[in-house]
Amino acid sequence: MSAKSKKDEGISFEDSLKKLEEIVEQLEKGELNLDEALKLYEEGMYFSDRCLEKLNETKQKVEKLTKEADKKYHTEPFTMKGNGEVVEE
Amino acid sequence: MQVNPSPSNEKIFTVTSVTQYIQKLFSSDPILHKVTITGEISNFIFHSSGHMYFVLKDEQAQIKCVMFRGSNLGIDFKPADGLSVKAKGEIRVYERRGEYQFYVTQMTEAGKGSLFAAFEALKEKLKTEGLFRSEIKKTLPEIPHKIAVITSPTGAAIRDIISITLRRFPNIHILVVPALVQGEGAAQQIAENIAFLNEVLPELDFIIIGRGGGSIEELWAFNEEILARAIYASKIPIVSAVGHETDFTISDFVSDLRAPTPSGAAEMTIPDKESIVKHILLLRGKLNRIVLHIFALKEQEYASLNDNLKYQSPKNKILQHMQTIDDLNNRLRLNIKHILNLYENRLKNFRDKLTTLNPKSVLSRGYSICLKIPERIVIKNINQIEEGNKISVIVQNGSISADVSGKGENKNEC
Repeated sequence: MSAKSKKDEGISFEDSLKKLEEIVEQLEKGELNLDEALKLYEEGMYFSDRCLEKLNETKQKVEKLTKEADKKYHTEPFTMKGNGEVVEE
Repeated sequence: MQVNPSPSNEKIFTVTSVTQYIQKLFSSDPILHKVTITGEISNFIFHSSGHMYFVLKDEQAQIKCVMFRGSNLGIDFKPADGLSVKAKGEIRVYERRGEYQFYVTQMTEAGKGSLFAAFEALKEKLKTEGLFRSEIKKTLPEIPHKIAVITSPTGAAIRDIISITLRRFPNIHILVVPALVQGEGAAQQIAENIAFLNEVLPELDFIIIGRGGGSIEELWAFNEEILARAIYASKIPIVSAVGHETDFTISDFVSDLRAPTPSGAAEMTIPDKESIVKHILLLRGKLNRIVLHIFALKEQEYASLNDNLKYQSPKNKILQHMQTIDDLNNRLRLNIKHILNLYENRLKNFRDKLTTLNPKSVLSRGYSICLKIPERIVIKNINQIEEGNKISVIVQNGSISADVSGKGENKNEC
């Protein structure tokens, strides 16, 4: 499997991590020629990049959702005071 | 009752006899004989013997209670200080201490009776319908990106959920969806919000519904059928986080995941980003090290093969052959020189011999050759010649023509 094939772009975090773990295990076993090792290394780096990407995909946002008519809604920032008390802005 | 007579005719009792008298009064009383008391548990002790000792109290009074092991096996809640209960039993005297006690034979949580029955009935009904089946429970994603929390926006529950979530995974999108969590219409509101989120935000990783601890009445919204049905219908996974660890609600059973408390919900569903990143970086480090190691090994292997190859190189053989050729060349040269010398010597010998044998050299020493004319044959024998023959005498530097005037034969042959 090519490390850069298109179908991997949508791979889940779980699958990426599993792949990464499998690749490291395979390399640890040894008995690989240089080409195979290099190929696995590239794939491993690719999957670990995907994992880290997934972890950083989202930005922190805490919002309050208010329903409106006709299946509409709006959101506004939702924050808590220093003492932990919830305030609505 | 045995009464000892006395001079003043007044009745004198022993402690035992008066206690027994009091006991008789208690047991013959129609109310104390079979009584139901409500009150709050206090000083609760669950003795290692299996018996329970506690006090029931209200604002003005208290009564000592005991519930023996045989009776308390049947109670379906965990008695604890502060709990309001309804207890059935008999009030008797504990003679050894001279105290009256409430001997409890049945106990239920106060106010629970009808609610509890409703809870059990709904639980049974939904279970039969298959709403609690474990195989229909949805799995939560390992790395959630966007989650919603349906709860009171002002309670401790939302505060705990947000702070724990952000502590564990700082970059996540949390949507707080305000709803009543107790009282009239609470269940309806939560249910409507679940349906609404399914409609407008189907990409949500999961929804937490819940509230902090409270009495069974306060938690009741989470035991209502309308909410249970909404949870069951939700395509988005639902996490139920209601009250304390000991509180079980219908929502807990029908949801995809039951969390013991609101903060527990965050702990269970939100991964600890730091440790995950650490794990991935560790794997990356391993990857690097292993590949570098393989490189080093292969390099070593190459170097050793290269040495071997150099050793086996045809160049070496060629050099060796060249040396052999040089060697042979030298030997050839020497041999030929030797042979030439030999031949030269032999030739010289021949020349010497030839020189010696050259008739001209004989002439130079004073000998001459006689030729018979005109035949010009060499005269070796006297019989070849007659008187009057012409002869030519050849000497070293010329020839002499002569006529034979006589001849003599040598008698003594030399």
